[in-house]
Amino acid sequence: MSAAPTATGGDGPVPPPRTSVPGGAASTIDGTAAASTAVDRPAAGAEGDGAWPAAVPVAEPAEPVVAEVEPGRVRWDPAERRARASQSFWTAVVGVPAIFSVLRLGVEAGGELQTTLLLVANVGPVNLLAGFLTTAARLLSTGLVAVFALGAVLAVSADRLPPGTRRRPLFARWADITPAWVVLASFLLALITWPLLYLPLLLTAFVAAFQLRPGRLHDRVVPRLLLIGALLAGYGWLMLPTLRDAMRQGDEWLVLVLIVVPPLLALFIAGPLPGMVIRPLASVTEVAVLATLIWAAVPVITTPVLPLTVTTVGPESGPTEDVRGHVVTTDDVNMVILQEQGGVRYVPVGLVRAQVLCPSEEELPRHQLRIHDFHVEDSLLEGMGRRVRPVHRIDAACRTPA
Amino acid sequence: MNSGSSQSRLRSIASTLAVALTLVLAAAAGCDSRKEPDLPSVQEKMRETHIYGQSKLRVGVATNEPLMSELRNGKPVGFDVEIARYIAASLGYEGDQRLEFVPVATEERIPALQGGTVDLVVSSFSITEERKKVVSFAGPYFVTTQEVMVPARLKGKISTIEDLRNPDYKICTSGGSTSEAELGSHQVKALVVKTVGDCVAGIRTGRYDAVSSDETILAGFLARHPKEFEIVDMPFGTSELLGIGVPIGDPALRDLVAFFLQKSYQQGRDDQATPWQTAYNRTLGPWLKAEKRQPQPLEVPKLVDFDDKAPAK
Repeated sequence: MSAAPTATGGDGPVPPPRTSVPGGAASTIDGTAAASTAVDRPAAGAEGDGAWPAAVPVAEPAEPVVAEVEPGRVRWDPAERRARASQSFWTAVVGVPAIFSVLRLGVEAGGELQTTLLLVANVGPVNLLAGFLTTAARLLSTGLVAVFALGAVLAVSADRLPPGTRRRPLFARWADITPAWVVLASFLLALITWPLLYLPLLLTAFVAAFQLRPGRLHDRVVPRLLLIGALLAGYGWLMLPTLRDAMRQGDEWLVLVLIVVPPLLALFIAGPLPGMVIRPLASVTEVAVLATLIWAAVPVITTPVLPLTVTTVGPESGPTEDVRGHVVTTDDVNMVILQEQGGVRYVPVGLVRAQVLCPSEEELPRHQLRIHDFHVEDSLLEGMGRRVRPVHRIDAACRTPA
Repeated sequence: MNSGSSQSRLRSIASTLAVALTLVLAAAAGCDSRKEPDLPSVQEKMRETHIYGQSKLRVGVATNEPLMSELRNGKPVGFDVEIARYIAASLGYEGDQRLEFVPVATEERIPALQGGTVDLVVSSFSITEERKKVVSFAGPYFVTTQEVMVPARLKGKISTIEDLRNPDYKICTSGGSTSEAELGSHQVKALVVKTVGDCVAGIRTGRYDAVSSDETILAGFLARHPKEFEIVDMPFGTSELLGIGVPIGDPALRDLVAFFLQKSYQQGRDDQATPWQTAYNRTLGPWLKAEKRQPQPLEVPKLVDFDDKAPAK
């Protein structure tokens, strides 16, 4: 294929083709090398036409590069490497949610093959993916934020690695090849999906990932200290009512620590770290991040795909029954309900008296604290949503046992 | 140079500590996010009650106390009934199919709870120390006072407790009520009948001369016969706290009822429309002399519910 343009290439100036690496093709196909030479170095006859401007340097032949490539060993240049990394990234972005979504359907169906097939037939891929992202955005952003923050700190410390260390830590290499916009997008995703209580930790991670040292605030020490003092005071003013509440409640020491400590840590976290710490830290955090992701993925897989409802079923004037479960589909004849305790019920549409949406017990809050009327366990998105629809009515039917 | 390198060393140690602490905090946060709530939840309490899994909730109400609870076209209506409906709906029993009103007379309220024929009693049930020994109370949901109602013919003649002691007047009250005890403590000899309605009927036929009961119950009868009676403001000096009666063996149910009363009270504090205020405005409100607000319920447990994250304002 690479020979195609060269066949007609003699008509005018053609930019030299990018050397393909590995360049086995150039040397193995007969005539290709000759043709490329013809393009790179315009023939003597063409020179007389003045088609090749004198000022434009003529590209050197590709021979040296081809000669360096050893048979059986592949060498990647950084651009190639970046392209491959980007490919893997997007494959992961599309593939992981797809696999998780299918796994979730299996769990949702209670491990029953026929029920899984029923769900597969009725839950659209877009719904599935959207449902997955709603529940997994928090986990995804946590993983990315952890990798980028640790990666940046390890990267800045990498030149202190003991001599003889061959490779930079994995997270540092990942942080190096990731474009800044991906890092920023991960932090933005975390900002809107993390519970408010954990946002101070995100601040620390942000400072680490973007290497924001206090020195960047001001060149001189006194104004720098004043600026830091002002920033901390502003933060304190924002959090003071919550801190007071947490102290009054007595047993909320973790909340106190999670609010107070991270901004102070942010002052020192940017690194660099001492050489002897880097290698163990890199190994431990790699394992820890992986373990955390697996541990945190379990609830994501077990979170239901379909909303929980209670359907009141019964004839017009007669006893009724409450069916608690997830509505899979409704057609002209039946409403198909996947019951909470397992099993599928086909309820004739004519018997459906009422239906209500119910919260699940996993949504119960663990803390009774608010930051300016935003619950500490709500994310910014959820908090804003509650402002749009402030009244939350729990239907009586949701209280009844399954 | 030397101070520069020691500063850099200090800095890298601080960085190491900061990274380590951040990781520890992140781990603690992760564990915290998977923890069960410390406080019991409403659902957990529900599972502890004796009504859990029951298809119907049986609530004992009076049938002859206008404004509070009376039968109209065979259906109970009134302030007590509305409060009972709110509590029942909060407990998961909404609609006539799931809620059964059981008529109970004043003196039957405690036996009905003890005998298990009703799950709750919402029937102008005053909270007293004596009663607390045999039944549990959630509330109060209303504060009322002891009053006396006299027929128009005796208007002006009965106006003090001294007048009530006059043996010429036959004073009537309902059995097992706090009025009976209150009259007794003031040495007023009263004729005890089954319900206040019987007293009112007796006065209208000339058998009795005055009836003593809660302001709310009397207001109901006054509303029914506005021209025939008058309420006399007597200085009995005690206020009555009306509560919801719960079997003494079911503290979880008592806690839940108190929790839902508190929810309504809190909504009122936040200037929102409350089930209590709606019930009051539809029944007692127009007939009482002074405007009343929902009293703060006592001994309310802290429970976690689904709407805890909703904005307070």
